[in-house]
Amino acid sequence: MQREYQICKRCVMDTTDPDIVFDENGFCNHCTNTIKRLNEIYFIDPEIKERKLDEIINKIKLDGKNKDYDCIIGLSGGVDSSYLSYLVVKKIGLRPLAVHLDNGWNSELAIMNIDNIVNKLGIDLITVVLDWEEFREIQLAFFKSSVVDLELTSDFAIFASVNQVARDKGIKYFLIGSNYSSESIMPQSWYYGSKLDYLNIKDIVKNNSMVKLKSFPKLSFLQYLFFSKKGPKNISILDLIDYNKENAKKIIIDELNWRDYGGKHCESKITEFYQKYILPNKFNIDKRKAHLSSLICSGQIQREKALLELKKTTYDKDNINEDIIYFCKKIGINEKKFHEIMKQPIQSHYYFKSYQKMKKQLITLFGK
Amino acid sequence: MLRHRVIPTLLLKNNGLVKTTKFKNPVYIGDPINAVKIFNDKEVDELILLDITATNDKREPNYKKIEEIVSEAFMPIGYGGGINNLSQIERLFKLGIEKVIINSAAFYNYNLISKSAEIYGNQSIVLAVDIKKDFFGKYRLYSNSGKEKKKILIKDHIIKCVNNGCGEVYLNNIDRDGTMLGYDLELIDYYSRITDVPIIVSGGAGKVVHFAEAIKAGADSVSAGAMFVFQGIYRAVLISYPKYKELEHLLN
Repeated sequence: MQREYQICKRCVMDTTDPDIVFDENGFCNHCTNTIKRLNEIYFIDPEIKERKLDEIINKIKLDGKNKDYDCIIGLSGGVDSSYLSYLVVKKIGLRPLAVHLDNGWNSELAIMNIDNIVNKLGIDLITVVLDWEEFREIQLAFFKSSVVDLELTSDFAIFASVNQVARDKGIKYFLIGSNYSSESIMPQSWYYGSKLDYLNIKDIVKNNSMVKLKSFPKLSFLQYLFFSKKGPKNISILDLIDYNKENAKKIIIDELNWRDYGGKHCESKITEFYQKYILPNKFNIDKRKAHLSSLICSGQIQREKALLELKKTTYDKDNINEDIIYFCKKIGINEKKFHEIMKQPIQSHYYFKSYQKMKKQLITLFGK
Repeated sequence: MLRHRVIPTLLLKNNGLVKTTKFKNPVYIGDPINAVKIFNDKEVDELILLDITATNDKREPNYKKIEEIVSEAFMPIGYGGGINNLSQIERLFKLGIEKVIINSAAFYNYNLISKSAEIYGNQSIVLAVDIKKDFFGKYRLYSNSGKEKKKILIKDHIIKCVNNGCGEVYLNNIDRDGTMLGYDLELIDYYSRITDVPIIVSGGAGKVVHFAEAIKAGADSVSAGAMFVFQGIYRAVLISYPKYKELEHLLN
């Protein structure tokens, strides 16, 4: 049964999230939870925030003493990671090692931004290059399987790679660019919840492709269970400062010659295409709603402006065909096949094996 | 327009791009299609694509991959690797390759050079020579991706190929390949004098001043690999290309 369309009166989340719940005021569960959480961690006494930040920085510096680096930064060339690099080097005085994942979809803008960042800030860089012949098959398998999170493959690869680099270099902290002020809202059904679930990736690939996973990073169930203990500690520095995306952008444009690519996560061609075409057309998901709602909650955009923003289509109809052709060519299918797959019914990630399910079973068996 | 071309050399191995050091230890640097797309956006005027295993594997050029790359590229591409007969050259030009680069076949098949130069014009046929110093510090010629040492004198070989119709010479120093320490200027100085055809030099570029040095030494065009694909002390894969203004200032 089709649910009647409803949009939140405070943010711009709507019933395209099938699990959304509204209260008697017409406010949804997303912004309600986020505002509560923001009041706990974001809109707090700046002095407390500063003290917390100082504490963490001192600890990072202490642990990194006599080492070449005290932390790792994942560098995509996007706003968050670019600003984070600037902040950490120029304002905080840490010595980060940057890790970049090359999954074969980098845009020239992203590359140029990374080049500027590492050169201007004097950061050492390691690039993890995924074997494209193999990764192409992995992504094609995901696309064919019709699960929602096509980006799980890259997200997993970056976490696994960073973990490896951290171990090789003896680095204890991984500073992440994700932040509550602009990314607090994301419905559970719009992505896969565990970025470390190697088994889910493996099983999806096994069921939809002949490719053998050879050079792609791996993670055992034990490593999955103890990842947070054994791996580097993830810290979202941006949550500890007064992070405002627009201001951040201005700073990195001035200081790092950073160039804008328009749109969130559009530094990667696949992310861009996935968010503007595949998600809206196949899954009826427009991620801009979640991004804009997050910004509304943290007071960085007004609801009216966000609504206007959403009136624009996710992609430019005149140019989309070019993008489709490129996607098909890159991933190795013809356009007919592409449109066939786009029409196939959606499949749940949980239809396939997963560490998440294994972990749940383990917990039911032995308790927590 | 720059008076001297600055050309990235991309090495193809199977279906991926690699970068070697002294012709050894190929490091995987990614998908050629994406690399070409980035070079497009960087407004690179010309590319050289060399399949480094075709000859030694005794196989044909990888036409499918070459076609994909050419169709994505905005700039002319010179291709080398595994070329030893006229029908291959015909096929490569049909795919949209602008110049063919001949190395190993030039040692035994002068006919191939003269025939293809006759049909496609001298400017379309490039002779590639791989040179390495021997134990006594003497320059030696190599074929088959540096695997086979040749007895013929470098000078004689170049003159013979030019006389047969090669319109350009791609002069590569194996000892400098991937080192980013600068070109072998002595080599450039010497061999640019023996022929009137333009010389593209390769092997050793690490920064923009190296280009100026090579041109001063007698090169007409400069090529680089590692410099355009690696960044920093870890040689992190990151494609870059100097700004046009910077090149203009240094090279014109």
